[in-house]
Amino acid sequence: MPQPGTGLPPMRTVLEYPYTRTTGPVMGAFLTGIRDGRLLGGRIGERVVCPPLEYEPGTGAPAGLDLVDLGPGGTVSSWTWVREPTATHPFRHPFAFALIVPDGASSGFPHVVDAGSPERMSTGMRVTARFKEQRRGSITDLWFVPEEDGARAAPPVEGGDPVTLAEQPVSLTYVEPYHPHRVRFLNGLLEGVITGQRSPVTGKVYVPGRGYDHLERTLMTEEHDVAVSGRGSVSSFTEITPVQYHGQKETEPYIRASILLDGSDSPITGVDIRTIPLSEFRVGLRLRAVWRPAGERDVSAFDNRSTGGWEGVIERWEPTGEPDADSRALEEHAF
Amino acid sequence: MARPCAVVGIGQTDYRRRLEVSLEGLVRWAALEALEDAGLTFADIDAVVIGKAPDLLEGVMMPELSLADALGAVGKPIHRVHTAGSVGAATAISGVTMVESGRYDRVLVVCYEKQSEGNATWALSGGKSGGQGAGGTFAPWIRSYIRRSGAPEHIGWQVAVKDRRNALRNPHAHLRIPDISVEKVKESPMLWEPLHFLESCPSSDGAAAVVLASEDVARKGPAKPAWVVAHAKRSEYASFPGRDPVRPRAGVECAEALYRKAGVTDPLRQIDCAELYVPFSWYEPMWLEGHLLAAPGEGWKLTDSGATELGGSFPVNPSGGVLSSNPIGASGLVRCLEAARQVRGTAGEHQVEGAKVALGHAYGGAAQYFAMWLVSSELQPAFA
Amino acid sequence: MSTNPRPVAVVATSLTPAYTAFEGPEAALVMTCVNELLESTGLRREELEFTIAGSCDYLGGTPFSFVMNLEGVGAWPPVYESHVEMDGAWALSEAWLRLQCGDVDTALVVGSGRASSGRPREVFALQTDPYTMAPLGADPVSLAGLQARALLDSGKATEADFAAAAARALPATSGVSIEELLKADYWCDPLRAHDVAAPADGAAALILVAGDRARELPGEPVWLTGMDHRIESHHLGLRDLTDSPSARLAAKGAGAHDGPVDIAELMVVHSPEETILRTALGLGGETVINPSGGPLAGNPVMATGLARVVEVVRRIAAGEARRGLAHASSGPCLQQNLVAVLEGEH
Repeated sequence: MPQPGTGLPPMRTVLEYPYTRTTGPVMGAFLTGIRDGRLLGGRIGERVVCPPLEYEPGTGAPAGLDLVDLGPGGTVSSWTWVREPTATHPFRHPFAFALIVPDGASSGFPHVVDAGSPERMSTGMRVTARFKEQRRGSITDLWFVPEEDGARAAPPVEGGDPVTLAEQPVSLTYVEPYHPHRVRFLNGLLEGVITGQRSPVTGKVYVPGRGYDHLERTLMTEEHDVAVSGRGSVSSFTEITPVQYHGQKETEPYIRASILLDGSDSPITGVDIRTIPLSEFRVGLRLRAVWRPAGERDVSAFDNRSTGGWEGVIERWEPTGEPDADSRALEEHAF
Repeated sequence: MARPCAVVGIGQTDYRRRLEVSLEGLVRWAALEALEDAGLTFADIDAVVIGKAPDLLEGVMMPELSLADALGAVGKPIHRVHTAGSVGAATAISGVTMVESGRYDRVLVVCYEKQSEGNATWALSGGKSGGQGAGGTFAPWIRSYIRRSGAPEHIGWQVAVKDRRNALRNPHAHLRIPDISVEKVKESPMLWEPLHFLESCPSSDGAAAVVLASEDVARKGPAKPAWVVAHAKRSEYASFPGRDPVRPRAGVECAEALYRKAGVTDPLRQIDCAELYVPFSWYEPMWLEGHLLAAPGEGWKLTDSGATELGGSFPVNPSGGVLSSNPIGASGLVRCLEAARQVRGTAGEHQVEGAKVALGHAYGGAAQYFAMWLVSSELQPAFA
Repeated sequence: MSTNPRPVAVVATSLTPAYTAFEGPEAALVMTCVNELLESTGLRREELEFTIAGSCDYLGGTPFSFVMNLEGVGAWPPVYESHVEMDGAWALSEAWLRLQCGDVDTALVVGSGRASSGRPREVFALQTDPYTMAPLGADPVSLAGLQARALLDSGKATEADFAAAAARALPATSGVSIEELLKADYWCDPLRAHDVAAPADGAAALILVAGDRARELPGEPVWLTGMDHRIESHHLGLRDLTDSPSARLAAKGAGAHDGPVDIAELMVVHSPEETILRTALGLGGETVINPSGGPLAGNPVMATGLARVVEVVRRIAAGEARRGLAHASSGPCLQQNLVAVLEGEH
């Protein structure tokens, strides 16, 4: 959905990573129990706590591993009915979060109850654990139901090694409109114009504008926008040998450069260079932008920060053939 | 005026991939060791400070909440510092402030990173493809330094070898490369020109902890205290016209403030050794110059002369440094506590003989955040 | 521990509106606040010897969000600066301690956040135990629902009490009664939508000055006479959710009851928390609670706690109160609580 009046859809970022958590002996034993269809607590002094802990609650003193089988029944000590589940809740339909004291435990822990309706929930009600058929040893391998729905033995799973690793995929979506100065900058790019902002105090031109001059502590608006040249000098570069990680699409080495455009006082950064050999690339090299055709420009890789996204609008940067700029003078723009 | 503050307990994990412990287990390892060293238990601690790099590294937001019980903080103040790569040293300084303020007598400072739970390059790129990694940011400045100073190319290799040799004396170090050599370093893959693979820091897991205490408590403790005689922090913007990213003014002013506070007038002579935050080999000569230990253009000569080796006149990173172990959020605290170990005389195989005054340092972001402390075996060392 | 802290005053405050969605970078919010502080005090940026900010990477989904924010905070020439990944109220705590050391006399404190781009319930679920709670998406609203239910079951509060706290956040002109609020549908039973503060974008900032210098500046100094913060267990089953021992300890540590408390700004993000905090903080009928409307009227995440301090300071400076308490919290079910005590000059 485009932002009103801008033609640009809001920017969308998905922060997604499959974290792998080593469990240590105590949490590992708890999760192994879940994998095997058991709910375990830890005896610490007079108390039996669920999940078991590596330490004495309250003091942090080390606690030995003394596991106790709990449940599968338990008692609800508090609950809330979640009418609008979030994307990270275990159910897509309404359910209860509850503090559940498993039979045999001296205190409760938060988990979910799939009760169908809030009328079936009450403090003090009895619940029983249900285990998924496929279990790898995660807190999400089980859930609770009202006891009247019937106890059900955990479906057997192939026994296996103790659980030592808990996988936690995290995926968070962020959507925000482009900031007003970014909208003007990006719309300029779609028209083949690079827009900066000229400080009303010092006259220095920042590209792209950030909506302020941080040196002079002055906010900048549309009246400070200026078009800058599509030519400039390499102020800094690095050759990236891509390391592989979740979401990484790059596989081959390439150059990432910063270019000080003519008439500006801050370099554009995150410019990927794939058509000029590393051996010919250097600070001071004069380049000009070769724009993509008007209908093929895409600004979706730009975010609200300053770096990157240029390849969507500029097909490549090519040497102008002019003599190099003074590399020493460019050092202050090495970012 | 500020009350004196001392390091009275030190703890750290090994910095290899710690696959046998939970997050809680990791931080408790360091915390319990520091408490034991100080002859204290969690019950004796007045306040806890934790520090680490971005939460995205482990996918745990505001971990002071879920770690409060494990760190014995229930019923106490706990707060979380985050200042990019400098965070370990910044967290230590935050703890020192608490003691100096007169409000707290025993403060537990814990920093950690468990890089094996996630991926640092992913996290530092905000989950986007094409992350350039920290080395990609620093490489251009390193090239500028080389051009500016006229340093020969072997300097970087030499630092990489020296720190890895030192690491062989430190049982906590992550990288242990017994046959490390200049040839091996320069033949390792080029990651970011001019930085080779072996000129770069590893991805480590680990936690570090110190117990900081007031003078009364320190004097009663079982172990020899390391007195925090001065600390300083400075920050500047990541980029702006006119910035010198090779020798950032914030780094120079941070060092000036530190030496002024301590009464140090000739740091290279009056300080016995330093643990500098050197994640990429060339940053040793760069920080020697950037923190006024050497004149501009002279830092690499100091390195080249062997002065910064263990046994040299000014050993740098006797522990093996960040080049040998990099649990990011803890790395700055490791520098600070290794400086403290030196002046307590408890650095074991990598002890600098007779060290009385030592510098712990960290930097972060785009070489824009600086945090340093100076520790001494004496409460008020006299600098001649 | 010493009992007589060095006198430190808040000499200027700034607070942006709580924007549903601010059109611009967080650094611009911060810059606006800092510029306003400098203008009102006549101080130059360089005269602020120590700077500390509070913000959160996950809130806006970018690592090192404080590095960008630094551009609003101001860091050229270089500054002596730090950052907590916490509400700005905890930044204030460190600044206050820093000024206690005696060698620094002025401090700039900032809290800022942009909550509008993420889905805060999903984001804040990552605050919970990474093995047993976060995988369930245990979000702050649901967990506040558990706390609310525990309160009802204990007889310490009724749903009408929740609605009364929510009603206080509404503009006086709204004319909405408690009865009408109670007719609204549940959201996370027993919570209704109006019981939950909507996360917003915004920033708060203030300047602290120690000793006599505070009196040399324009305006009425408001003295920060005490501060403390405490945490309790993360394990909800091990806590009495109807009480807040950490808030009680913080109030004691801050010296809240060394004098009468005329006003209190409490970080009530879920309306039932007001009942718990009133009791734990020992606030009786003589204390006006949340005269600003509190977070239910405006919740600029990561600045909400510091904004409570700003609201108390402004009312004391305006002569509406002589002595007040500001409270901030962090974590599910009020896990962590901070108290600052502020007093007027006369």
